[in-house]
Parts: sequence; structure tokens; C-alpha cells
Amino acid sequence: MNFHQILLVLKREYVTRLRSRGFIIATILIPLGMLAFIGTGIGIALWDSGAEHTIGVVDKTGALYPRLEKLAGDRYQDLSPLSDDSLDARVLHERIDGYVVLSEAHLRLEENPRFVSSGAGGISLQSSIQSDLQTVIRDERIARAEVSEEVQQIFATGISLSTVKLSPQGEATEDDTGFLTLVGMAMGIIIFGSVLGYGGMLTRSVIEEKTNRIIEVITSSVKPIELLLGKMAGVGALAISQLTFWLASFFALATAAGPLAGILLRSDPGMTTVPEGAGGIDPAIFTMPDISPSLILYFVLFFILGYLLYSSLFAAIGSAVDSETDTQQFMFPIMIPVMIGYFIMFRAMENPDSTLAVAGSLIPFCTPIVMITRIAITDVPFWQISLSILLMIVTFALTMWLSAKIYSVGILSYGNSAGFKELWKWIRE
Amino acid sequence: MAVINVNSISKSFGKTQAVKEVNFEVEKGRIFGLLGPNGAGKTTAIRMINHIIIPDAGTITINGRKASSQTQKMIGYMPEERGLYKKMKVGEQLIYLARLKGLTYDEARKTTRYWLDRFDASDWYHKKVGELSKGMSQKIQFIATIAHDPDIYIFDEPFSGLDPINSEMLKEIVIELRQKDKTVLFSTHRMEQVEQMCDDICLFNKGQVVLKGNLREIKQSFGKNTVTIEFQGDPTFLDRLEQVRINNRSTNFAEIRVLNGQDIQQILQLAMQHAEIYKFERVEPSLTEIFISTVGEDNINPKELA
Repeated sequence: MNFHQILLVLKREYVTRLRSRGFIIATILIPLGMLAFIGTGIGIALWDSGAEHTIGVVDKTGALYPRLEKLAGDRYQDLSPLSDDSLDARVLHERIDGYVVLSEAHLRLEENPRFVSSGAGGISLQSSIQSDLQTVIRDERIARAEVSEEVQQIFATGISLSTVKLSPQGEATEDDTGFLTLVGMAMGIIIFGSVLGYGGMLTRSVIEEKTNRIIEVITSSVKPIELLLGKMAGVGALAISQLTFWLASFFALATAAGPLAGILLRSDPGMTTVPEGAGGIDPAIFTMPDISPSLILYFVLFFILGYLLYSSLFAAIGSAVDSETDTQQFMFPIMIPVMIGYFIMFRAMENPDSTLAVAGSLIPFCTPIVMITRIAITDVPFWQISLSILLMIVTFALTMWLSAKIYSVGILSYGNSAGFKELWKWIRE
Repeated sequence: MAVINVNSISKSFGKTQAVKEVNFEVEKGRIFGLLGPNGAGKTTAIRMINHIIIPDAGTITINGRKASSQTQKMIGYMPEERGLYKKMKVGEQLIYLARLKGLTYDEARKTTRYWLDRFDASDWYHKKVGELSKGMSQKIQFIATIAHDPDIYIFDEPFSGLDPINSEMLKEIVIELRQKDKTVLFSTHRMEQVEQMCDDICLFNKGQVVLKGNLREIKQSFGKNTVTIEFQGDPTFLDRLEQVRINNRSTNFAEIRVLNGQDIQQILQLAMQHAEIYKFERVEPSLTEIFISTVGEDNINPKELA
């Protein structure tokens, strides 16, 4: 193998792609697109939580409506004088979304309150009403029971968890699990997206050389394996450049915009309607807690390993087909492990030490996505990390060997796309 | 000593044997034609000489050295399936390809400039290949093949897809290369194209060499047993001829190979009765005829000899 040739191929692959208009546009547009995507998500959430529902209340006890009004006044409307028929009519004409008739029987817990609605509001509205009613009925019962102040305070107890994480040095540090879960997920998704994105780029690059018919000119100077390695390294270098650019601009923006976003969201009226203690957003989340350098190091490591593991396979696919439309049948078996890794990642976010998460992080094809999420959230035992890296390297050697076999035959076969049977023949040759 | 020495090479792809026990030598400073119908194994043999694929058995030496990535640099190769990076600029691309052949950046840039100047194409240096016309990119393809100034040139089906101007230019380049004592090997299934150019030939059929040697000597050994006739009139008399094989037939031309001692004067008499004769000449057989009579008519798919 000639390192000089690999370097030449790498440089061409890197420079021509870096300069292409499409790449420059994508580098700028993808983060903007992601911002728009996240922004739309937040926008929808804000708009959704701001949706108003009006629930009519016929209060025969005289005590419950004032409490409801105090609890969530803009949701409930006192319609006490009205009869059931006219209430039904109002629901059907959509002037109210539903109504509840409350009586002494409900206070004595002899009967469950009945919520009549047109179906608007869905399950989240129902559960809000249920919890509101539970609160007011309980409070009213406590008040009537004439228990001591002390007992009343006991019932009013609200618990919020203050979390502390023990570091290996034994010091108790402030727990950033919430934030780190997000970081872990973001890293997992970045690796997931990169494997597919840059892998696809490599496939197209190989197909381009085949359809341009330049491949035979090149192979009369360069060994297929040198060409393959050069291309993989070239696109890999491109991936790292692009990622570095994105991360740098992200941190720059985050440092500037983080505090700003915190202030904005705190004063947002949509947010204040969320009841205290029921998922109110902690402004501290917008001040960037430290991401440890070792996490970034692991991210880069798993990013590179993940890219290597998959990219050779993507190149092999490109060599086996004659046009991009024929890649589907081969993409499918590669997509399966990527998608499995992606789904395990979401389980690992909730429970990073579960058997599924540990197993997933040790399966080489899922490792880069799942392991980085686990490392971000929890203290993964060192043996698991080293084992996963070792397994990935071994698997990489295997896929590389397999891909090199397919690639060296595939690039010179024109005219029609190979099937799995042919691939198997090429590998055995 | 032979520049290219091919020593009983064989190559199979699955169950099909593409090349079977092939031997030939290419001498320095000669133009060597590798001829045969499509699918005869020419491209496979050429790829093995270029060390793109490796023979299952047998050896190939280039200038006395076993075919390897080192010998690749001694060869300028223009494959049958040829092309360039469409999105890359002409200058950059030629420099890249020359550097892959082992030139330094400065050498590559110099030779690229030189050849672009020679082909009146200096203006294209900064143009993308995709913006060039087909004829223009064919010129760039020639430059890519010859820019690193190798000793050996291999052209696989060089005339297929070339426009007439570039065809002529390629012929000039080949002849110029021979004057510089370079060695040229090319393959074609269009036999008549090589008759004017080749010193030596090697005929392929079904993966095997059926005939090889000096073109002049081969032709002489077949004798002047062929007639070319040009005429005006009803051509159906040609069908009534017996003991002949007619190649290259058109409405007013035919190449007639005389078999089994059939009298040539009788052919002329018959022709005179039916048509006005412009030309009647006794010649050596064409390469196509030599090929057919060597491998036997039954062994050829007529469509393969276009």
C-alpha cells in the first residue's frame, strides 16, 4: 500500500468537496434548519399549552367553585343557574368545552363527579380537570374536618427534589443529569445523523466515479484499497471539519444567547400558566453547565469509530450498484442496526444502566450512538468503554476487509447493479 | 527484449473463462494491435497488463519487471470506459492524474500546461470538465493518458465514440509516439482501422490467441486470393457466385475471398455481364477475412464483427 497515493486521493476528495457550492450551503443551512426545527417545536409547545378550554361548573355546594377559580380561574366558568339541558346545548354549540355538576354527594365521596364534554381537549384536559377536582375536594374536606393548622400544613406539603451527584473524588457536586441527558441525546443524534449523512456522501462519491467512467483511469494508477481508504479519509476529514465548524459556532452562540433565552422564557406568559411544581422550567438549564473534556474526547472517538465502521460499508454499496436509485436494497440492512441503536439510545436516556442500554452500547453497530449517550449521563464502568472500543475496532477490521473485497470487484463492473448473490461471490473470490 | 511479455495468463470470472493461456510479446517501438470480436477477452488481458486485475495463472512482465503498481507508472492507459471528474477543473484534474502516476506537483503542472498549449486548449485550464463539449473532453482524455510521458501506451478501443477530428488526431499522436521509439498497444474489434497502423497483431477469439505475428508477413502468407470490386448496377449477381466468401458488401462494393481455387477471371466475366465495373483488383485479404478464415465461420457470431 502506498501512503502517498492515499494522501493524493484524500486531498482531492477533501478539497473538491469543501469548495463545492452544495457543501458550503449545507454547512450553513443545516444548523439553521435545525434551529428552525427546534424553534417550531418550542413554538408548537407554547401555542399548544396556551390553548384555552372553558369548562362550565354547576356548583351546588357553593364551596368548590371559588376554590376552582382560585386554582385555575381562566379554565372554569360558573354556570350554576343553568339546567342540564341548556348546558348540553352550550356544549353542542361549542360555547363551552364541557361541564361538571358538583354536589355534596361528591364532597362526601359517595359519587364520582361526571364530566360531560364534546370530546374537545383530549386526555390532557381530562387529567387536568381530574387533578383540579381532586385538589379542591380534598382541600374543602380538610377545611370542613376542622383539623389543626399543623395537619393542614402537612397536607399542603409540596416536595421538590434537590439532586446532588457524587463525583469519584467523593465531593458532592450539583447534579446536571437533566442537562447532560440532553447533551448525551444531542451527541447520539449527531453521530446517528453523521453516519447516515457522510456515509451517503461516500456512496454517492463512489457511484460518481463509476458513472463518470473515470474509475478505470484511476485504478490504472491507484490500488482499489488505496482509493477506498483515501476516499474514506477524505470524507472523514470533511466530516470533522464541518462538525468543528458547527460546534464552534454552537458554543459561540450558546455563550451569547443562553442567558438571553433564559430571560426571555422566564418572562414568557405562556410559561407562567404552567402550575408550579408541575414541570416549570428551571432557568438554570439555560446557563451552560460544564461539559467535561473527557466527554468531548469520547464523543470525537466514537464519532470517528462510528464513521469508520459504517463508511466502508457505504462505499461498498456504491461500488456494487450502477446508479443511486439501486442503492435501496443494500441500504436497508445497514439502516437496521443504525435505527436499532437510535431507538436504544432513547431508552438509555431514561435508564442508562439498564441491561438493554448496556447490551446496546456493546453491540459494535449500535455502540457509537448508545455509548456516548450513556457516558454523558452516567458513569460507565471503564471496562465497558474499553470493551466496546475493542469490539468496534475488531468489527471495523472485518467490515473493512469485506468492503475492500466488494469494492475492488464492484468498481470495475459496469452495466448493471449487483445483487446479494453476486456480492457473496465477490467476497469469496 | 520485449517491452511487454505476457506469459500464459489465464483469468476466470466465476464460471466464465475470460482469458485462457494467452502468450504474446510486444517489442519496443512498435504498434501492436490486439484484435478480436467483442467479448474475446481483450479488455481483460489489457486490465491484467495494467495490473488492475491479477491473473489467476501466468506472469506478465513490463520492461522485465513483474506487473505491479511500479510498472503501472510506466504505462499510459486509456480504457474503453473512459471519463473524467465532471465537477473538477481541467487543470487541476490533469495535475491530479499525473501526480497519481508519480510526478511531483511542479512536473505535473508543467506537463499539463505544455499539452494544453499543444492542443490549443490553454483557455480551458480553469474550466470544469462538465462545461466542455464531448470532443473537447476527449482531447483532455488524451492528455491525461500521455501527460506523464510513459514508455508504453495502451489504448483500449480508442476509436469508439471519438469524433472524426479526434480520431485523426489520435492516429497522429500514435504515429508521433512511434517516431519517439515509444511502444503502443491498442485493442479494437474494428479490424479495418488497424490495418493502416499496426506493425504486429494478435488475434483473440473466445479468450484465446488464434493468430499473432507481423501484420505484413501474416497477410503475405495468406496470398493474393481476394478480389475487391467496385461496380454500378444490379448487385444480385454476387449471390450467384460459388466457392467464395463475401465480406464488406455494400450496394456498389464487395470484397470477395476466393475459396478452393475458384477462377478469378470467371468472377470478372460474371460481373461484367451484370454491372458496369469501375474497379477490379486482386489483393491480400483484409484482416476481417483473415480472422474469419482462421477461426472458422462457425465459431463467430456475425454480429460481433461490426
